Amino acid sequence: MDLSLDAPLRERLAGIRALGAGQIRPLGLEADRLGRPTPPDHDFFKLLVERGQGRTRWKGEEADDSKVREAGAQVGDSRSFLCVSEEMSYWDRGVAVSFPGPGLGEPPLLSMGTPEQRRRFLGPFLEPDRPRWGSFAMTEPSAGSDVAGIRATARKQGDHWILDGDKSFAANASRADWIVVWASVDTKLGREGHRAFVVERGTDGLGDFSVERKMGLKAYESTSFTLRECRVPAANLLGGEAHYAQRAGFKGAMRSFNATRPMVAVMAVGIGRAALDESLAFAREHDLGDDPRVRDRLERCRRKLRAARLLCWRAAWLADHGQPNILEASMSKAVAPVAALEAASLGMELLGEVGARGDHLIEKLFRDVKAMDIVEGTGQIQRILMARHLVGLPRD
Amino acid sequence: MIDFALGDELELVRATARDFATDQLRGALRDHESQRELAADVHQRFAEIGFATLEWPEGLGGSDLGSLARCVVAEELAAGCPGAALALDPLGPALYPLLELGGSAALQDFALPLLTTPGARALLVWTGSGSRARLEESGGSVTGQVPWVPADRVDLLVGLDETGAWAISEGIATTRVRGAGLRAAGASSLQIENAPLRAHWREPAAAARALARARLYSAALLVGVMREAAEFSRDYAQQRTAFGRPIAHHQALAFLIADMAAAVDSARLLLWDAALALDAGEGAEERCAGAFLEASEQALFVTPNALQILGGHGFMQDYPVEKSMREARTLSLSWGGVDAARECGGREILEHTQPLALLAEGG
Repeated sequence: MDLSLDAPLRERLAGIRALGAGQIRPLGLEADRLGRPTPPDHDFFKLLVERGQGRTRWKGEEADDSKVREAGAQVGDSRSFLCVSEEMSYWDRGVAVSFPGPGLGEPPLLSMGTPEQRRRFLGPFLEPDRPRWGSFAMTEPSAGSDVAGIRATARKQGDHWILDGDKSFAANASRADWIVVWASVDTKLGREGHRAFVVERGTDGLGDFSVERKMGLKAYESTSFTLRECRVPAANLLGGEAHYAQRAGFKGAMRSFNATRPMVAVMAVGIGRAALDESLAFAREHDLGDDPRVRDRLERCRRKLRAARLLCWRAAWLADHGQPNILEASMSKAVAPVAALEAASLGMELLGEVGARGDHLIEKLFRDVKAMDIVEGTGQIQRILMARHLVGLPRD
Repeated sequence: MIDFALGDELELVRATARDFATDQLRGALRDHESQRELAADVHQRFAEIGFATLEWPEGLGGSDLGSLARCVVAEELAAGCPGAALALDPLGPALYPLLELGGSAALQDFALPLLTTPGARALLVWTGSGSRARLEESGGSVTGQVPWVPADRVDLLVGLDETGAWAISEGIATTRVRGAGLRAAGASSLQIENAPLRAHWREPAAAARALARARLYSAALLVGVMREAAEFSRDYAQQRTAFGRPIAHHQALAFLIADMAAAVDSARLLLWDAALALDAGEGAEERCAGAFLEASEQALFVTPNALQILGGHGFMQDYPVEKSMREARTLSLSWGGVDAARECGGREILEHTQPLALLAEGG
């Protein structure tokens, strides 16, 4: 057993820390103050691309063998990935999501896409000429965690698919080169009817982009959009028809969720950590450390965040070794956001009226962190998934 | 790099402890509790395996496997019966002041003889902040009272506080009490009259380490107790039906069972994290206090809820969960209890600017 971080990872983390203090956190505070996402033409994104960010984890066609495909490209390094995510979120989770790159569209492309689709859609992210984004759209106004309930439809017409529906809360959607959109060929079939399409920017019928107004995490855009008689080439059906003949569309979607639960959970740890550090700084500055109630709460926040991080790491470690991690992944996701919200909320208590002013970093973190108990499956959904494993809770 | 595998050696230790708990402890837990002792052959089997000397240096016949091994074994044994786990370990947490303050010489003089005395027990009493023991040490002897120790005989009593430790073995009168929990180990109050000191060590840093290790020991027992209660009640909830389905399939209980599983795992991960820091020789007092605190809080969440899941049956002594609840409450009173542990972590955290930094603070 070992809980140390290896040297290459520590080096990466040191780089993020420098970028975080100098750019990421100030940018997050600015976006929060201005109440808008960082615009896509911001110099920060160009700087990131110059520094080698915004790239795909896909290794190119040479590495595109069946092993990488099966593994979804995460096997082996999700622990490092987790630590990087935590550190980014520590500086600003909203800015972290706004980073250029294929984003949440990448896992389904890696796990379900054909070699040709990976070349077309991930290829431009190998050595990007400019900041580029990919996006992912499953959620709809009336279907969140219960993805079986999506209403967007897809019908075949010649060598095209016609998509109709409304999508909500898709990160970076209006600036993305393409969006992986989930729709149903027959809503009566539930998950069996799901298909994923890569919908490219400028496709006729893709539009009405509306950047939502959020409580926090304002640095990245959460965007709703519509599909109206949207004509998508048949070649953009993710995995091709054969893929769906082999297995239900839902499994692909669930698989990408599985890979990301501990990652989203550890982002919450990062936010909570930021709140804890700020709380400590405030307590020190105002001599609050003599109060045992204050000390007790700081101690509790550290302990709960530490436990949450260990739960995340364990889930990632299992994934790295090809072992089932559904229970552990859901557990990390159920626990971490609650611990992080508690840390931010405690910070507000220490600040008192200073927090009530609405211009302190802790107050921003308090608003930011709540989303972490919702995205990638709410805490309640995680408990349902856990209960299926623990006591065989039936699906219906 | 981050790796949660225990490794072949510790997996073997764990399997051995698990088998021992299954074969020797779980089936007889009510007998052990009512008789307040274990049969000689159980003691003998325990001694043969070498669990008592897991952390002892190899030079003294120990296996020098460290704190992580102790945590793994204590969890497994406590899942069988935590009182029995204490009864079987002649030194128990009393080992730590001897090891940290007295060193090999103290082990040789005080501990080694107990290993060869059947049923012998050394007890550790915390006399520092939060303790309800009233002991005064002056002029080379100790006088006072200890309200409760989990034993019916005391061959060696080690007192520990923030400044150091002492050891006595005479002048200790035991009075049997019923005991709220851990009865398999016995339960007595102690009256001590002018007991001559056999040793007296003053070294605050070493005393803090000894306390940390004692907390870790209790935390490991708590993890075992709550794990057993969580699993027992989970199995029950899948068999018991109400309103046409297993009670586990009502969401109120399904969610509770999920939270109980998360509680056990959170406590165990903090336990292992602290053990790892101890074994690496890092300053681990705060982590051990945190592990004890987490284990206490989570056990006090898990065990009453395990009883609750069994409903009326849970309240009856035909089932083991009421015992788990009492054991958890009792174990968490150790070493000044949760408030003393909170104080340890709460004071320490103020020394940091970034207490959970992935990289060394400020580096």
